[in-house]
Amino acid sequence: MVQSLLQLNSIFISLVIEAVPFIVVGVFISAIIQIFITEEMIAKFIPKNRFFSILLGTCMGSLFPACECGIVPITEGLVRKKVPLHAAIAFMLTGPIINPIVIFATYVAFGNSWEMVIRRCSLAIVVAFIVGLVISYLFNDDQLREFINKKAQKAQSQVNKKKHHHHHDHEHLHSMTTMEKVKEMINHALDEFFSVGKFLVIGAFIAASMQVFVKTSTLSFLGHTVATSILVMMLLAFLLSLCSEADAFIASSFRGTFATGSLTAFLVFGAMVDIKNLIMMLSTFKKRFVFTLIASITVVVFVGSLFGSLFI
Amino acid sequence: MIRFIILFGFMYLLFHLHATGDISKYINMRYAYLTFIMIFIFAFMSIYQLIKWNMQGKKDKKEEEHHHDHHGHDHSHDENTIWKKFLVYGLLLLPLITGIFLPIATLNSNIVKAKGFHFAEIDNDKDPYANHGILRPNTRLYYSADAYEKMSVSDRKKYDSGNILALNDGNYLRGLETVYNFPGDFTNKTISMRGFAYHGDATSKNQLFLFRFGIIHCIADAGVFGMMLKFPENVNYKDDDWLQVQGTMSTVFYQPFQQTIPVLNVTKWHVIKAPKDPYVYRPY
Repeated sequence: MVQSLLQLNSIFISLVIEAVPFIVVGVFISAIIQIFITEEMIAKFIPKNRFFSILLGTCMGSLFPACECGIVPITEGLVRKKVPLHAAIAFMLTGPIINPIVIFATYVAFGNSWEMVIRRCSLAIVVAFIVGLVISYLFNDDQLREFINKKAQKAQSQVNKKKHHHHHDHEHLHSMTTMEKVKEMINHALDEFFSVGKFLVIGAFIAASMQVFVKTSTLSFLGHTVATSILVMMLLAFLLSLCSEADAFIASSFRGTFATGSLTAFLVFGAMVDIKNLIMMLSTFKKRFVFTLIASITVVVFVGSLFGSLFI
Repeated sequence: MIRFIILFGFMYLLFHLHATGDISKYINMRYAYLTFIMIFIFAFMSIYQLIKWNMQGKKDKKEEEHHHDHHGHDHSHDENTIWKKFLVYGLLLLPLITGIFLPIATLNSNIVKAKGFHFAEIDNDKDPYANHGILRPNTRLYYSADAYEKMSVSDRKKYDSGNILALNDGNYLRGLETVYNFPGDFTNKTISMRGFAYHGDATSKNQLFLFRFGIIHCIADAGVFGMMLKFPENVNYKDDDWLQVQGTMSTVFYQPFQQTIPVLNVTKWHVIKAPKDPYVYRPY
């Protein structure tokens, strides 16, 4: 028992150590968005049409290297800057999958073959687009939890107050000097690190416990039909909470036991939803929204990989 | 202040792991540069936080002296109550405390039991009924690319050149992969390897598995890799005993997995001490 707990601790620490660099990069990018990008810039940039804005979000996600936990604070930053929710979600879903590091890892893990890379990326794009569309019809506002808006307002009022203090007459952030902006950015990143960090810790702890105490090996014997094996692999991806750079290697070790469709589901679903980032999403967005999001991701990934394994 | 302690703690933890080399017990050293850079970023962040805290303290004092009236200014952050503060910072302190003070555990048979293990499908398995009830993908699908053929052929040449395949820390994963890809080539060849013993559920007295944990990114994604051993006599090793073995390879139909797997008919073996670095790492 003691041994199990120590192993649990080691896995927990290693998950935290592994994710921390990405979280820190994430909070800094989020802070840069917060301070240096204005709502007007975004409004000019994002198309009004929902199809095009989702498409743009998907493309942006494809260009942007991030992992599934680092991308949550970035998405939050975008939504706070009035990026339409559906575009931000499309961005959040493709970001962790379609980027050079993950593509390379997938290519190598599956024996230097493009097949799995193509399956993974195309399913990710399909899922991001459809889920973005669903979200755009179901939710109109930003769905951020209240305290985040409050936090933003408070930050704004503090900035204003500071200006009041210094008898500045400026109105907006962009009239701050670069030095002030950088300082504000670091403050922002630090605040964000502490508010996101705790959720990373909880998520990593739960994921580590799952690895030590839940016999995942028994799961693999449940996958007898195409449909159930896809579901089993999705559940496994959720429970293991692997970083999207490492999960391809795990998936390739299941090659003997599971069909291509199930592995694709594992690779796509795991990079979009897992314990670590579920906790982080819940810290940012409203519960009802997060569960709707996960439900639609689940359905689309399931149908998509079923379709893929039957017809392609 | 507590924020400074946490940031400093993260820096210290990463620094400590790098200085003692224990970082390799958590992550694949290929990614160590990431955590190495983080040491400096956390150092910067903690110094920044310290200065900020210092200046804030001074400012607050000055403002108090001037009896400044803050309307609407609340000093509370998100973590306003003491209980909430305790929870938030306590959570962040948790990995620091357990990381610094608790001993590092090594993954062993205990984890194998929880995670299970798989063998790559063997291509020369001719029996079409062997995989009844289990989905069997056409593994050739993955091997279609020329590049892979080239890579595995070069590996094949490399590991297949002599009569002895000696698996060590450096070539363990790639070597084993080659064995599983081309079991025919290695039949009746001598293979030597080391690893820890693991008794599955269905092995008899002279059979056990020899495994090592292979790490891709961090130990959370570690998987076991190894072979089944067959001894000429009954042996009494416990799980997690480390062995150095040498033997000739053949294949056997393994009932619990309903598949044919390579087996090493051991000729020479002895118990060894657990190596300093128990894991093997996946190089790209």
